[in-house]
Amino acid sequence: MVEQAAHVLSWHARSYRKSWRATITVAFLNPLFFLFSIGVLLGGIVDEGRADLGGLTYLEFVAPGLLAATAMQIGTNEGSFPVMAGLKWTRTYHAVVATPVRVLELFLGFFGWVALRIVVAAAIFTAVAAAVGAFRSPWAALAPLAALGCGLAFAAPIAATAGAVENSSVLTAIFRFGILPLFLFSGTFFPVSQLPAALEWAARVTPLWHGVTLCRELAGGTAELWPSLGHAGYLAAFTLAGGALAIRILQRKLLK
Amino acid sequence: MSSGHEGEPRIQAAGLTKRFGDFTAVDGVDFAVVAGETFGFLGPNGAGKSSTMRMIGAVSPRSGGALRVFELDPAEAGPEIRARLGVVPQEDNLDLELTVFENLLVYGRYFGLPSSLIRERADELLAFMQLADRRQHRVEPLSGGMKRRLTIARALVNEPDLMLLDEPTTGLDPQARHAVWDRLYRLKQRGVTLVLTTHYMDEAEQLCDRLVVMDRGRIVAEGSPRDLIARHVEREVVELRFAAGTQDGAVARLAGVGDRIEELADRILIGTADGDATLAAAQDRGVEPESVLIRRSTLEDVFLSITGRTLID
Repeated sequence: MVEQAAHVLSWHARSYRKSWRATITVAFLNPLFFLFSIGVLLGGIVDEGRADLGGLTYLEFVAPGLLAATAMQIGTNEGSFPVMAGLKWTRTYHAVVATPVRVLELFLGFFGWVALRIVVAAAIFTAVAAAVGAFRSPWAALAPLAALGCGLAFAAPIAATAGAVENSSVLTAIFRFGILPLFLFSGTFFPVSQLPAALEWAARVTPLWHGVTLCRELAGGTAELWPSLGHAGYLAAFTLAGGALAIRILQRKLLK
Repeated sequence: MSSGHEGEPRIQAAGLTKRFGDFTAVDGVDFAVVAGETFGFLGPNGAGKSSTMRMIGAVSPRSGGALRVFELDPAEAGPEIRARLGVVPQEDNLDLELTVFENLLVYGRYFGLPSSLIRERADELLAFMQLADRRQHRVEPLSGGMKRRLTIARALVNEPDLMLLDEPTTGLDPQARHAVWDRLYRLKQRGVTLVLTTHYMDEAEQLCDRLVVMDRGRIVAEGSPRDLIARHVEREVVELRFAAGTQDGAVARLAGVGDRIEELADRILIGTADGDATLAAAQDRGVEPESVLIRRSTLEDVFLSITGRTLID
């Protein structure tokens, strides 16, 4: 099973060699632009007023948030249109399951590839952020893994959705009305305590808030074992439930 | 490339059924295919051919009946069966971003073949499929005919014991179609077992040793192309083609001429053992077609005589 999934993963890697240029903005450049414009430059002004950021500078506050949000975006991008393409547009998934590869192995290979994409981007971002002094604690070294959990918690349910829906406009709507507001309001740029109470609680149930918080606590050196495991478990639950659903949907679509 | 011993069973189906909700796509069909033969499913769109092929390909669970492929049950041994199949689907599903060679490489890996072996086979297959000069080209801009040939090359990369070709030349221009037929004919000569679906009677006649005619989920006739023609229709057909609006009443006037009369929208077909005599008899009845044609009967006529409809609407 692992071997077959690895063949599927290496297919994705080979395809990526043809298309990586189109992905570097979202995966690498945009997050770094945000890090410098919002974190370093805007942060310089914010820090004058000393907002209540739990003792962190604004750069220290926002960098882990951007890390988790970047992971979310990669997970969402990779989990959405590529799945729809494999099923409906280029139909390459149908080619894979006509071979000895099973749907489960197809999914695991695909998902492993998404995980690799997220973790590489997160590691690069973490290295740059560390270089500009955005992290306080050596635990920040674990932040890319926390970001991975955050990215997969989006990739899995989005993949299930992309498999289930007939029309790509549903995916576009998720980006516009789901991912963008999450990016702006789930604690990436400001503490969710700034939100009205109802919205604050809405923000706290999103996987992004858990990812942001876990990254931030690791990087700021305030992480404690049980709350951290709670965040990780929350992200894992989204990943597992979304993944199980995605596998079932792919089986239904590919093995009619 | 070999397909094992002649006559060894490849596919056995009994009462094979596929339902999608209330719709019965395949309605209890029986057939068997042995190693070394080229077997066809001939029928119009929606006859249940592709559904049958997908069940054989172990990518579609059957709703009823029995099915064995290589004497294995697809419900239990999907990966084992698929390991020995070469599948050419109705719609190409190549990776358009990759090169011709990379498509073979990626696909071959799914069969557990080492890259070095795939490389060797790819060179042979691309030469055989007349794609050697495209080896390093990206797939996307290739012509439809080249993509089809690449899909066939890809299906051969695991040296399958059975090839499943679903409408292998649908959508191709006549020249590309003949190129594909030529390659399939060579595979057949090498002893590769081919199972294909088609709604082109000339494709079925040229390639198939044996075929079943499908209509609305059922098998309505079975035999070699020659048998089917001998059994179901007369040797020749007189085609009377009429200008719009001049066909009315012609069938009534032709009563008793030839052995069998079929009326279509723009022409009347008369099945007969002697085309010239029948045409003379028809002209004696005073019908005035715009043009006439005497030809040998084809599988198209077989389908028409059994179902009352044409293969391509």
